[in-house]
Amino acid sequence: MTADEYLNEVLASQALGDDSEEVKALQKHRADVEKLIRDNFKDTALTIRYAGSKAKGTMNKESYDLDIISYVSSGDNTAGETLDDIYDNHKKALAKKYYVELKGSALRLKGCDPENLGVDFHIDVVPGRFTDETKTDAYLYQSGGDKKRLKTNLDVHLDHVRDSGVIDAIRLAKLWKVRNCLPIRTFVLELAVIKLLKDKKKRSLSEQMEHFWTELRDNAANLSVEDPANPNGNDLSNCLDDNLKSQLAAAAKRTLEQIDSSGWEAVFGKTEKQEKAARVEILRRAASVATPSRPWLPEA
Amino acid sequence: MTWQRDDPALYEKEKAEVAAHFPDLHFVVEDVTVFVRGSFAVMFEGRVLDRYSVELQLARNHPAGLPVVRETGDRIPRHIDRHILAADGTACVLLPDERWRLWPIGSPLVKYLTGPLHSFFLAQTTVEEGQPWPFGQWAHGAKGIFQFYRDLLKTSDLRLITNYLDYLAAKKVKGHWACPCKNGRKLRDCHFDQVKELREKISRKDAEKSLAVLKAAGSSAIDMTEPT
Repeated sequence: MTADEYLNEVLASQALGDDSEEVKALQKHRADVEKLIRDNFKDTALTIRYAGSKAKGTMNKESYDLDIISYVSSGDNTAGETLDDIYDNHKKALAKKYYVELKGSALRLKGCDPENLGVDFHIDVVPGRFTDETKTDAYLYQSGGDKKRLKTNLDVHLDHVRDSGVIDAIRLAKLWKVRNCLPIRTFVLELAVIKLLKDKKKRSLSEQMEHFWTELRDNAANLSVEDPANPNGNDLSNCLDDNLKSQLAAAAKRTLEQIDSSGWEAVFGKTEKQEKAARVEILRRAASVATPSRPWLPEA
Repeated sequence: MTWQRDDPALYEKEKAEVAAHFPDLHFVVEDVTVFVRGSFAVMFEGRVLDRYSVELQLARNHPAGLPVVRETGDRIPRHIDRHILAADGTACVLLPDERWRLWPIGSPLVKYLTGPLHSFFLAQTTVEEGQPWPFGQWAHGAKGIFQFYRDLLKTSDLRLITNYLDYLAAKKVKGHWACPCKNGRKLRDCHFDQVKELREKISRKDAEKSLAVLKAAGSSAIDMTEPT
């Protein structure tokens, strides 16, 4: 199996189709969350949409979240006068059914009933307000950081990733982040992958990944990313500080060394297909030395 | 008859041997019945490949009688194709007539656990992985009995098979009787040794049951052309 065939198998084993149990569960929750929000803001014209990896096509089975935006129209104060109020009122509405954890601009939903106590549903609700009637740019409340208001644009973010031409590399980089416990925000990692592979879209996936890690290993200190929705307004430098850069460089160095010494499997492990084949082989070997015994049922 | 009271030394021996091989299985006596319950490990080269929650109800005349086995974790679908009876979840581990090959009367219980029972659960795990039954399977009911005796006696003639079963089920057989192969000779001059050997291996009770099932099914119920 070539490196690219292997990487494609890794991606296939991480795929979450719409008919998968995980996505069905998320969709059920999404419907519940949307109903809960709309029931609480009956007089508000809300725009509720999927965002995040579900909308970008970068979901991995191993680690996935469902981001749902809930934006109020500009000039509509029925859900709260300030961004802080909108955020807080959403939190109160969601707290009727969920344990809500504050997470930057998002509200993380966890189970609060005895059956699901503390269970992470992998759902983030991001409240906000559109800046104008075009319903494109939006302001989000930021619970941490110096600035309490963040200007963003969901469609620009989605398009930036979806049209990047390096979706597969993004998914592998996200998997690499999870496997190496790297504390980089997923959105920042996506921007880094897109930037570093800007001129490498036609390369094979394995070449793209090697280039990505080589750049991180050698030039992480000079890496910077810009928010495509607000390149000059949103400073992402605090999301990519020197400490994180050196962690990324060290992990990239380690990964390249693993590929060199032990091959790609050392980075992402065996794929489901490989694991299944190995298990079937062990069962076959076990059967070859077992007492050959045929089951029988007395009733036809 | 309660074997554990009649032969407490055997009970202790069985219990100790099972504990040594399967530390997660435990003997429990309820009224007059001995159960072996717990987690059954499917092993290979010292490694646990899988586990099943099981209950073995040992026969009152253990070790002469076969244990009744139940998979209590509800993991294996209760379906005839998985050899689990839908009514009570009983696992059909082996064809009783074949017992002499797998767990001869008088063998310790641990031989049953490491032999046919281990193979049964290894096969269930293999089937769960989408693979065929590693040791094959007998067809259900009369057809499976027919397949077994067809292979054993090397004949597809149902009439001959029932002749043999008549002799296996008889209290005793006499040398001057006609040979079950029906070639016109007396038993003592023909297949006497074979019949004697089979009578030692297959219990009269099992032969009687199989004979009754085959007679009830009749030749029309048995597809004699299907390979095992």
